[in-house]
Amino acid sequence: MQKIKKWILGAVATVASVFVLAGCGFPGLAGTSSDTVRIASQNTTEQQVMAYMIQDMIQHYSKMNTTIINNLGSGTVSFNALKNKQADISAIRYTGTDLSTILGEKVDRAHIKETDQKVRDQFDTKYQMHYFPSYGFADTYAFMVTKQTAKKYNLKTVSDMKKVASKLTVGLDQTWLERKGDGYDAFQTLYGYQFGKTYPMQIGLVYDALESGKMDAILGYSTDGRIGSYDLTILKDNKNFFPPYNASAVATNAILKQHPQLKPILSRLNGKISLKTMQNLNYQVDNDLVEPEVVAKQFLEQHNYFEGSDK
Amino acid sequence: MAHMNMLQQLIYYYQQNGAYVLSQFARHFLISIYGVLFAAIIGIPIGIFIAHHSRLSATVIAIANVIQTVPSLAMLSIIMIGLGLGVNTVVVTVFLYALLPIIKNTYTGMQNVSPTILDSGKGMGMTRWQILRIVELPLSLSVIMAGLRNALVLAIGITAIGTFVGAGGLGDIIIRGTNATDGGAIILAGALPTALMAIISDLILGWIEKKADPTQK
Repeated sequence: MQKIKKWILGAVATVASVFVLAGCGFPGLAGTSSDTVRIASQNTTEQQVMAYMIQDMIQHYSKMNTTIINNLGSGTVSFNALKNKQADISAIRYTGTDLSTILGEKVDRAHIKETDQKVRDQFDTKYQMHYFPSYGFADTYAFMVTKQTAKKYNLKTVSDMKKVASKLTVGLDQTWLERKGDGYDAFQTLYGYQFGKTYPMQIGLVYDALESGKMDAILGYSTDGRIGSYDLTILKDNKNFFPPYNASAVATNAILKQHPQLKPILSRLNGKISLKTMQNLNYQVDNDLVEPEVVAKQFLEQHNYFEGSDK
Repeated sequence: MAHMNMLQQLIYYYQQNGAYVLSQFARHFLISIYGVLFAAIIGIPIGIFIAHHSRLSATVIAIANVIQTVPSLAMLSIIMIGLGLGVNTVVVTVFLYALLPIIKNTYTGMQNVSPTILDSGKGMGMTRWQILRIVELPLSLSVIMAGLRNALVLAIGITAIGTFVGAGGLGDIIIRGTNATDGGAIILAGALPTALMAIISDLILGWIEKKADPTQK
């Protein structure tokens, strides 16, 4: 009996010590200790570039521990990670997406300029999260065609596609097809036509499908580096169907309070990354086989970590 | 990059991102090692305990067996519900999968120690602790090492899936390759080091296992 007691005691002690160890984190393994700033990133190139950029900025200006929670499947997953306190900063959030998917509001096309402020206010009051000012670019959904197609049908705006729409084969982001508010259904209602054939595709693949002639038109992201390299024509969204998807970092109010030095660090990136810059950074990753981490570091080193931009 | 063939792309990739791959390699290895280490801390005593109390052995090994049959992605998701996203979830998953080989091998190793040797130890007036330390453990060490070896190779594979809960590691590179347009080279760039890590740790632990076998001296 005495022996068994000893064994049980030993086992309990080991289990306890394991949990204590786990609380302090594993040496050498970032992201395991409880004071780590956790940056949530989705599985797109620009999300990962910005996540590493935030991490590099924090490491450059402070001694905080940081880790990146990578490869999250969608904006909703990354939002829930912040909401459930599994992450502290979301690398990029897009005001337009958050308006329709998180806040569940319809896009008010008459007051399109107020979208950003509305999302910012609601995130603060409803979810206690701070929406930073935009990085300086908007990643908007955009219909694109090749130069030749644009010339052939004389396409300049999305409305121009109406007369040839039934003949077109179109590659679309699979999440967009099912989205409410700014998805395909709403699109048909506003523009009054539908395409001949639609193919739901992985977003990274649509540009090559267009380039190789398998698709006549695609719905892609305006920041993608391949737009420049394949010389694609973006059709103007003349009816303002897509709300502005201005890209910003979002952090929980709790983490900003816990680490007051975070806010000025992240604010240094405000307005620093233009659409052209983002296209270029994306291009280096998607086309030149450079990892997002390396691209982010090189970019910050070129700009000296935006040292001068204190206020 | 389209003008290069796969091998050239791979070499170019390593030139550009060498430091990044190395840091993910280290991260991957550490996640696996920590999981196995905790499994060893818990599993080896359990193995010794059930070897001495053989009535319990069937139950304990059955439980470890059940844990093993859960598909790794499902296990990862279940633990994620409790622990959330991030690296801790993966360490715990690795820990659970590493338990079975370690417990089972410790148990088998202890069972294989011949009762006559144990008796002679007892006859010499050794305490139970002395028998364990001087007789049983050294004789079963090589079998226990074989269990650790199995566990570590398994762990390296499971850690690769950890990328889905955002833990990082070489799985990140593989997944990025599958998302990229022409990602063949990137997939290889992540998969090759993973395989290499498993093979090398298997060889090293195999060597230690041989050294630990007292009958080989």
